[in-house]
Amino acid sequence: MSEPIIDLEHITVTFRDKKSTVHAVKDVSLQVERGDVYGIVGYSGAGKSTLVRTMNYLQLPTSGTAVVNGQTLGKLNTSQLRQARRKIGMIFQHFNLMNSRTIADNIDYPLRYSQLTRPQREKKVKDLLHLVGLDDKADAYPAQLSGGQKQRVGIARALANDPKILLCDEATSALDPKTTGEILDLLKQVNQDLGITIVLITHEMAAVKAICHHVAVMEEGEIVERGPLLDIFSKPQKQLTKDFINTAAQLDTALAEVRRQPAVINLAANAQLLHLSYVGASTDQPLIADLYQQFGITANILYGNVEFLQDTPVGNLIVILSGDISKFPAAFAQLRQEGVTVTVLDPKGDAVA
Amino acid sequence: MSFINQLMPNVSLIWPQVWQATLETLYMTVVSAIIAGFLGLIVGICLVVFDESGIVPHPATYSILDKLVNIFRSIPFVILLAVIYPVTKALVGTGIGNTAAIVPLVVGTIPFYARQVQNALVQVDRGIIEAAQAMGASNWDIILRVYLREGLPDLIRVSVLTLISLIGLTAMAGAVGAGGLGNLAISLGYQRFQNDVVWVAMIIILIMVFIVQAVGDWLTRLTTHN
Repeated sequence: MSEPIIDLEHITVTFRDKKSTVHAVKDVSLQVERGDVYGIVGYSGAGKSTLVRTMNYLQLPTSGTAVVNGQTLGKLNTSQLRQARRKIGMIFQHFNLMNSRTIADNIDYPLRYSQLTRPQREKKVKDLLHLVGLDDKADAYPAQLSGGQKQRVGIARALANDPKILLCDEATSALDPKTTGEILDLLKQVNQDLGITIVLITHEMAAVKAICHHVAVMEEGEIVERGPLLDIFSKPQKQLTKDFINTAAQLDTALAEVRRQPAVINLAANAQLLHLSYVGASTDQPLIADLYQQFGITANILYGNVEFLQDTPVGNLIVILSGDISKFPAAFAQLRQEGVTVTVLDPKGDAVA
Repeated sequence: MSFINQLMPNVSLIWPQVWQATLETLYMTVVSAIIAGFLGLIVGICLVVFDESGIVPHPATYSILDKLVNIFRSIPFVILLAVIYPVTKALVGTGIGNTAAIVPLVVGTIPFYARQVQNALVQVDRGIIEAAQAMGASNWDIILRVYLREGLPDLIRVSVLTLISLIGLTAMAGAVGAGGLGNLAISLGYQRFQNDVVWVAMIIILIMVFIVQAVGDWLTRLTTHN
């Protein structure tokens, strides 16, 4: 495998003031491959924004090294660091556009540091406006734009100097769900068409699910779980990861609803409430039919959801299985062999699978 | 004209002096504003960039500037006039007259304006500064092209405020020998019981203030885009 475009080794960031010491990032190592879309999820205060800022040295790590685009950022002098930053685009939750400049001037601002001539710069701005679908907004001011449009300008500005990397710090968190989808589609396009590596910081698993190839979950300054998107979604190890996934799949709200159903409240002695989840090929297997034919177990589906992650189906079912209880273990074993994750749910509890 | 002569019996005899005093006030205001504006802007920018959360944090420098500004702002202007009299004399050659008054006016205005500039520039969204840094902007770029540009409407607003306060100070300086409308109002008007002279001096100063305010408001509107 080629050299990672971002290579963080043992990054620690500690904030100290007179009163307290905050360990924002604790000994994090992270590699992002060229062309990847890497999601970092976590709740606010998990340290993800601090971590992403060590990738362009807006935040100096207390210890550890950051190698980005083949350059060890800590070894660069001020002017070299400025050069390096021009190849690392960044977009922000609150867009951070300059209110005193028009949209075209905002996008032109980073080009001030390029070698381009005035007409070349004008053409570049025009092309970037076209790329983000704002051809007609060149002379508008940021205050006249909607949130989604502002983020499009943010993206155009970040791409002005043809960066290799785009860092997205909660880039969709201030947007409504529909606009979020549009911005994520644009980021996906930027990744696929321009080959730009994207690091996406977010607290929304839905955003990660939409475009990321890899995901890392952060809690209290540490990466607690990481891997390819499908692995994380199909076999989450940590409770925090499961919480994020369930929120994204709306499984937790569904389960609360399911628990209010009479069929669950009066669950028969020969029945169990289960959460079945599966990825990819398993969806082709007639699971439910097999259970009945082989074990005489009937399934009552209370909730079902199938999503496509990177074109692979991921299914979640909440079912009541009833039949000969003694046959359940064999039936579960069979399901697990087919790649289905089987979790027995407490019909009264509030824990999510 | 006879109506005006009746209304202002004393003023009508000294119109040339009123005109002269107005020019002196304008002279003191404009020259002091240019010098104090330039130096105050620099000190104000330093207060913003050297602050703990600024782009070049430098606690020692910040602390010294901050305390100097506080001390000089705390000195009442009439006392400042007297205190820096030796400095004025050394710089201008005399302690009396409107050119001499420029020295205390500048010294009194710099800290006021610096603090106003600081207050205006800290309003610039930290996120915009961070975005500029992420784009590879140098500190000079950030000061000139982000802070001063983004903070321009607020800078105009505080400049108007400072200019109006400066016009007020010239009147006070006038009362202690610097000439101008303040001198006219006190030594010709007040001390000789010529109330119409006091009124005319006041009205001319009010007109100056209104013009400054109106131009400032217009410029603020012109530069505000949010």
